[in-house]
Amino acid sequence: MQSGVTTESISEVAKRLNIPETEFERRGVRLQLGLPITCAATVDEAVAVGFGDGSIRVFRPGLAPTVTQAHAGVILCMIADRDGLLTGGDDGRFLRFSLDGTITELANFGSKWVDCVASNHSFYACSSGPNAYLWSKDQSEPQIFEHLSTVGGLAFGPKGHRFAVAHYGGVTLRERVKRRWKSSTFAWKGFHGAVTFSPDEKYLVTAMQENALHGWRLRDKGNLAMAGYPAKIKSFTWVGDTPHLATSGADEAICWPFDGKFGPMERSPVCLAKNKKQIATYVEALAGEQAVFVGFQDGAVMLAEVDESKGAIAIRGSTGAEVTAIVVSNSRSHILIGDAEGNVLWAPLWARDYHARDV
Amino acid sequence: MQQIEKVPVTVLTGFLGAGKTTLLNRILTENHGKRYAVIVNEFGEEGIDNDLVVDADEEVFEMNNGCICCTVRGDLIRILSGLMKRADQLDAIIVETTGLADPAPVAQTFFVDQDVADRTKLDAIVSIADAVHLDQQLGEHHEAEEQIAFADIVLLNKTDLVKGDNLEGVQSRIRKINPYAKIIKTAHCETPLDQVLGLDAFSLDRVLEIEPDFLESDHDHEHDDDVTSLSFVSETPLDLDKFQEWFGKLLQTCGQDILRSKGILDFAGIDDRYVFQGVHMLMDASPMGAWPEDKERSSRIVFIGRNLDSMNLQEGFDACKAA
Repeated sequence: MQSGVTTESISEVAKRLNIPETEFERRGVRLQLGLPITCAATVDEAVAVGFGDGSIRVFRPGLAPTVTQAHAGVILCMIADRDGLLTGGDDGRFLRFSLDGTITELANFGSKWVDCVASNHSFYACSSGPNAYLWSKDQSEPQIFEHLSTVGGLAFGPKGHRFAVAHYGGVTLRERVKRRWKSSTFAWKGFHGAVTFSPDEKYLVTAMQENALHGWRLRDKGNLAMAGYPAKIKSFTWVGDTPHLATSGADEAICWPFDGKFGPMERSPVCLAKNKKQIATYVEALAGEQAVFVGFQDGAVMLAEVDESKGAIAIRGSTGAEVTAIVVSNSRSHILIGDAEGNVLWAPLWARDYHARDV
Repeated sequence: MQQIEKVPVTVLTGFLGAGKTTLLNRILTENHGKRYAVIVNEFGEEGIDNDLVVDADEEVFEMNNGCICCTVRGDLIRILSGLMKRADQLDAIIVETTGLADPAPVAQTFFVDQDVADRTKLDAIVSIADAVHLDQQLGEHHEAEEQIAFADIVLLNKTDLVKGDNLEGVQSRIRKINPYAKIIKTAHCETPLDQVLGLDAFSLDRVLEIEPDFLESDHDHEHDDDVTSLSFVSETPLDLDKFQEWFGKLLQTCGQDILRSKGILDFAGIDDRYVFQGVHMLMDASPMGAWPEDKERSSRIVFIGRNLDSMNLQEGFDACKAA
């Protein structure tokens, strides 16, 4: 199925906001879809985008985007899994979506929303209300883990044998030991949302309901409080070799260093792409580089190297709506930027692709 | 950035059997041309089947912000942010709370969570009371009193089943707890929806509508009811610094017991009217333009809560008067 999007609306966007085009906007395609973009993920050279009306659009270099109606309501979460996606929606459905548009229902929770999703090479999981559902990839029935409050985030450790569930009061960490899950608790008062492991799997970090991050060192459950943000941290991403955890929630990307014995303890973060007026709402690392894309609440996106002495490059100008998705395709050929009002920029990442990949 | 229209949220409270489901069904099924989402509690009455109904768990969370009695509805933060991602615009959202739930965390959620406050606004607290059983419920459950105390609107339902002048008695009982709520009498929740939705009762503008009549004489409050209201008036302008010190300390120490507070204040040396409204220890305050020329400047302040007599409110308020 082809999308009915035309290029007429594209020039209209630029004229209305009277913003000089960036090089990325010139070489890419801009669409105004008028639907909130809620999530995005990449599979190989393709990028899939989830919308507030339950549709998924798949962008591929050189092809028109395809659109499929997947959920009946908002797509609340999405992750790449094998050669497709796993998605959860406010219609209570947990789906496997193949890029050709084939949909398989993995679970249906009725009027309960599917809020979070996670995946690694041997397991996938989703959460609905206070329960986390975990499937081993060779099983059709999930294992159910109950928690005392709604689950805020799910993550698998990079090594593949740890599964973290964030909720009110902290994180429950389950470790695979001899084909069983051994559980331990990392407690910290307050509600914990999105959760992530550091790439070396020495730290666990959550974004809290308050304007703060909380972290634990796995070895001794040592606490790390990263506070001082003017807004909620809606997005974080691991960047570069150090690595740094880049975060939204301030008028610049706040990047905490996680090297050495104590990580960010007693150290200052690196602050990138200072905007002065706008709060960053989305951050996404450029894989293989020491650089991060930073999206702001006015729709603008900058690319910054993890080096405070260097300036940031403008990737997209303001659209008037907060950035809710930034994805670089796995093949690193294209970038997709989306916002809360459905403005999409789909552009080749490298100048040499300017003529080679015409969309 | 474009100014986003905030979606009004109505909090609907009331005991089981009072008629919440009747009203919710009307909101969902009547041909009113509006899109309303309804957040219901899983322990509520019989299921309402509609794709605009969302199940909630009434999860009350303490915020980790050093404010010990600052509790919010965590599930509500999540659900409201999810609803704001919908492709279709909602005209209003209704949050049902169970009879035994304290409405305060719901109201506080709109004061505390920035994302919620950016996209939605608390419209009003509507409490449905069963005219036949309210008297008994007030005696047995302190939650029943709280629901009346918090309410902007009391929908007194099942009035057709009340015998003789008992209805007068129920109304005066409500008035004693909360003289400022509007009472709507109905039989089967048959009130026009615009009487209960889209009232903007939490806007500071509406505080200006506090009837001066209520305030002119001190209410005789009786001690058999746990929750009472007290109001104070001063023709003498108040001293801003003294007031802030007294009121800040009062909310900090007695905020648990003060369910709602509102006021219009006249500060010495300040031209604008100063208006505030609060739920427990959280409050919203702002200057609201000049005093109307045809009205005398005066300060009026209202409290609804428990143990108000022990807070020395009269002395505290009087001490704020500018010398």
